[in-house]
Amino acid sequence: MRRVLAPLLLVMASGALAQEGFPLDGTWRGETVAKDGSHRTIVLILQWDGKQITGTMNPGPDGTDFTNGKLNPEGWKFTLDVKTTKGVPVHFDGAISNLGKYNRVLAGKWTEGGSSFDIRFVHE
Amino acid sequence: MNKLTLNAISLVLLAAGGVTMAAAPAAPRYPDGTVRFDRVPGEKGYWDGPTTTSLVEKGAKVEFDASGKLKNIADAAKVAPFQPWALALYKFRQQNNFIDDPLKVCIGPGNPRQMMTPGGVRFIQDKNYKRMYMIFGGGNRNWRTIYMDGRDPPVAEEVTATFLGLAVGKWEGDTLVATSTGFNTRFWMSNGGLPHTEALTLTERFKRVSKETLEYEVTIDDPRTYTRPWKAAWTLHWTPGDIQEQFCETGRE
Repeated sequence: MRRVLAPLLLVMASGALAQEGFPLDGTWRGETVAKDGSHRTIVLILQWDGKQITGTMNPGPDGTDFTNGKLNPEGWKFTLDVKTTKGVPVHFDGAISNLGKYNRVLAGKWTEGGSSFDIRFVHE
Repeated sequence: MNKLTLNAISLVLLAAGGVTMAAAPAAPRYPDGTVRFDRVPGEKGYWDGPTTTSLVEKGAKVEFDASGKLKNIADAAKVAPFQPWALALYKFRQQNNFIDDPLKVCIGPGNPRQMMTPGGVRFIQDKNYKRMYMIFGGGNRNWRTIYMDGRDPPVAEEVTATFLGLAVGKWEGDTLVATSTGFNTRFWMSNGGLPHTEALTLTERFKRVSKETLEYEVTIDDPRTYTRPWKAAWTLHWTPGDIQEQFCETGRE
């Protein structure tokens, strides 16, 4: 029972936390459903070093590092250009909402190769 | 002695008397000459009544209300040398009535906000272990340790980040100088909602200029949030009695 309750309490507690530092810092998880019904998860790890937004897309064997994320505080718009490990260009164009919350949202359009779709990332 | 000389002597005596009357009692000291930041034996008292309600760069002409809210949001950029994202976030917090303030869910004030939080501060000078303990009545009745044994400040990336940071201190004359690193980002650095990152380093200068007055100056150095280091300062006053018991409770406001 304790094993079930502890993670549950942690999740409940994190929902009450406010956002404090650089709004993009941390892990963002986005899920989308393709036209054929298949699910796809994209994970972004973002970090601000004071001059640029760096990070990793889908950390793991197919992870790709990037250094060119751009945040425009006017409207909290975020753009990212990166290539997958197979060399496919990816462009993301989105904006942060629920800025003051820990579980804030980064929603926008993900373009990968010739296809694009809407995606909603949640800060974890 | 002519009239002019008598008048001159009278003026000197009056001035000397005026100075004597206006001079505050000196800060108490230990037998070795070190300034006591806390009570003398048999006395009760603590530091309270911070003279500011928010952090603002020294010399900036900006007005706040008691909660740290700017009287004129157009003054936001004068508060500190913000990076663009930090200014936008500060304005967002100011314009949203601090709805996401971590204090509202009983998360501690962190540093240096703790030093502007009413409720009382005491300094316990532990000469045996070469440490200074600061105990706080405001926020969550917390404490912090300033190591005075000559160790180097910790490397922020190598320590568990905390709300009050990890501090080392030294004496510069009668001024205690504490350098802190290793802050987490779960707190707001001021009542007004100033942001910071884990790159934050604070250099605090505490000076008991008299029995009744503690001068506090803090240098904020966070190159991910601000374009240059900047300073803020305020004072706290000696308050007779004991720090009162108070605990933060959510849902009982």
